[in-house]
Amino acid sequence: MGIKIVKREGGSLKDRLYIPAIFGGMKTTLRHFITNISDTSKVKTFSYPEVQPSDITSRYRGIHRLTKREDGSIRCVACFMCATACPAECIFIEAKEREDGVDEKMPEIFTIDVLECVFCGGCVEACPCDAIRMDTGIFSFVALKREDFVLTKERLLSHEAKKETL
Amino acid sequence: MAHITVDGTLLEVTEGALLIEELLHNKINIPHFCYHPSLGKDGNCRMCMVEIEGQKRPQIACDTPIKNGMIVRTKGAKIDQVKRAMLELELINHPIDCPICDQAGECQLQNYYMDVGLYESRLSTPKTHGQKRVDLGANVVLDQERCVLCTRCVRFTQNIAKTNELGVLKRADHSVITTFPGTQLSSPYAMNVVDLCPVGALTNKDFRFHKRVWFLQSQEAICNGCARGCSLFVDHHKEKYKEEVIYRYRPRLNVDVNGYFICDAGRLSYKNENACQGVHPLIRGKISESEYAEGKLLKLLKRHQGKTLWLISSTLSVEEMVRVQQVARTYGSFVSAYGALYEDVSFGDTFLKCSDRSSNGRSLKLLHIDASEGYFETALDEATLVITVGRNDVDTLDAKGYSNSVVIVSQQPLEACEGVELFLPMSSHMARDGSFINIDGRIQYSACAIPLSPDVKPLLSILANVLNDGVFTCKEVWEHHLSDRAPFLDVSFENLPIKIDL
Repeated sequence: MGIKIVKREGGSLKDRLYIPAIFGGMKTTLRHFITNISDTSKVKTFSYPEVQPSDITSRYRGIHRLTKREDGSIRCVACFMCATACPAECIFIEAKEREDGVDEKMPEIFTIDVLECVFCGGCVEACPCDAIRMDTGIFSFVALKREDFVLTKERLLSHEAKKETL
Repeated sequence: MAHITVDGTLLEVTEGALLIEELLHNKINIPHFCYHPSLGKDGNCRMCMVEIEGQKRPQIACDTPIKNGMIVRTKGAKIDQVKRAMLELELINHPIDCPICDQAGECQLQNYYMDVGLYESRLSTPKTHGQKRVDLGANVVLDQERCVLCTRCVRFTQNIAKTNELGVLKRADHSVITTFPGTQLSSPYAMNVVDLCPVGALTNKDFRFHKRVWFLQSQEAICNGCARGCSLFVDHHKEKYKEEVIYRYRPRLNVDVNGYFICDAGRLSYKNENACQGVHPLIRGKISESEYAEGKLLKLLKRHQGKTLWLISSTLSVEEMVRVQQVARTYGSFVSAYGALYEDVSFGDTFLKCSDRSSNGRSLKLLHIDASEGYFETALDEATLVITVGRNDVDTLDAKGYSNSVVIVSQQPLEACEGVELFLPMSSHMARDGSFINIDGRIQYSACAIPLSPDVKPLLSILANVLNDGVFTCKEVWEHHLSDRAPFLDVSFENLPIKIDL
């Protein structure tokens, strides 16, 4: 192992005066100020929550949803791959025998505690059946009690994919 | 002795033994389905192909006797191609439904599939479908589609259980394992076929969908169902925000006792352990703190000094029994094991199950603990306090007309606590370690100590607090109380398991 000597920047008189850098920054500020004041429709900020963001794409990781088969029944087979992949361990599943002849296994309980969730998307990646997705576009989730943040199977099934807006 | 070369390394092996035995013994990975050490070779799965120098074609390692100077190759392009082709054949009709298969995670087919990486099927015709979820009886569920027809289960019922319920029906693609018409699996060892099955074709109905196997942690233990003391793996898991739960027992190889198998009754006895959870100390029927309850025990012992009877169970470990004797000696009390030994002739058989259902009944005799009715009655006449340990059969005392104080120290939850001065829960069998002497006089240490109920202490800790001598662990008990008395003179904690004369 050798020692790498790194030259320290900012030692020159120009850097130590700070004044040229301050003027450089002020130039950018002034440019934005003039652009915004001459055409207010181009202002980047909007008045949330009256105006909702329009740039949430289908790749945005929102609140989860459980997908359905063609016949409208739950797609999940309770294989626990999502719960295994979850770094926050916030997916709680209990499996049961599926009696409707579509498959053999389904979840009895499938809850996600969104307070614990870190929205990494690991569950979506891990799912071998495409049964869980995060494409609802729900970016803001509000509730009054902690318990309401624990989403049940029924709640997750009721979420729909976000409609693509062009 | 013979010398063979496997993949360039020289191995010293037994001449005439099967090649696969020695390869597996030397930890050489060799895929196989039909070979099992307890069932021998069958040579039907063709997965264990190896190249042997001088032989024209690849040979199956399970049916090749070892000759001196053999040169074997288990790797290489040629042999990999053969293995790949064999696996593709096995997978032709396999549904690849690992997400819903209980075997996933401990499945040989899944492992080989991941190793070889044959992810896309080249089959142009639809897969042949079989029946799924066939209940074969005895808690065994068959999935015909997942079966690789290794016939381990068939050979188990023929050669080991000798009940011959299973067979292979039909030909070629349509071959399926099934029970003979009108019969069901009925052997008391039937559930071993689930462990034998290398794939997910035979699964355990009792364990079905309860837990994915990769969550489970295993601990080694000794079964307490009968006097045999079979070796077990205890698979347990603590879910987030929940208590520890035992999900299943599996047999653990022990050539001296149970071989590769256990009985179904023992396998299902894990439920008793889970049933011991959620108990609290009770003082005259009221829930109490465990420290306070232990203090109460000590107070009662002092008050009834010289007039106490310890009524112990045969489920206690050797260490616990000797410590009870120690406490009894200190407080001048009697120790009896009346009613602790019981025979169940309908349970016993000639294979593993014993009529003697006491898991540690032999120790009572070796430690000179009296189990006779006469001694019990004499002691009961004098006693003003009876402490039952590991049992809560108050009716035994009632039957003898005993009406003084009763203390129960037991792993089982108490049903009726009327007239019970103190109930102190102790850790159940799988929640504490201990040594047990089986029917052949083999002292086996059961290391399994799963914290099933975090507030409940093992009996050794309770007694250590009573005696206040700091002897808490089994090792310490062996050093202080057991290794210096007959018949344990040659035995120390370190050299368990060991066989002694009964």
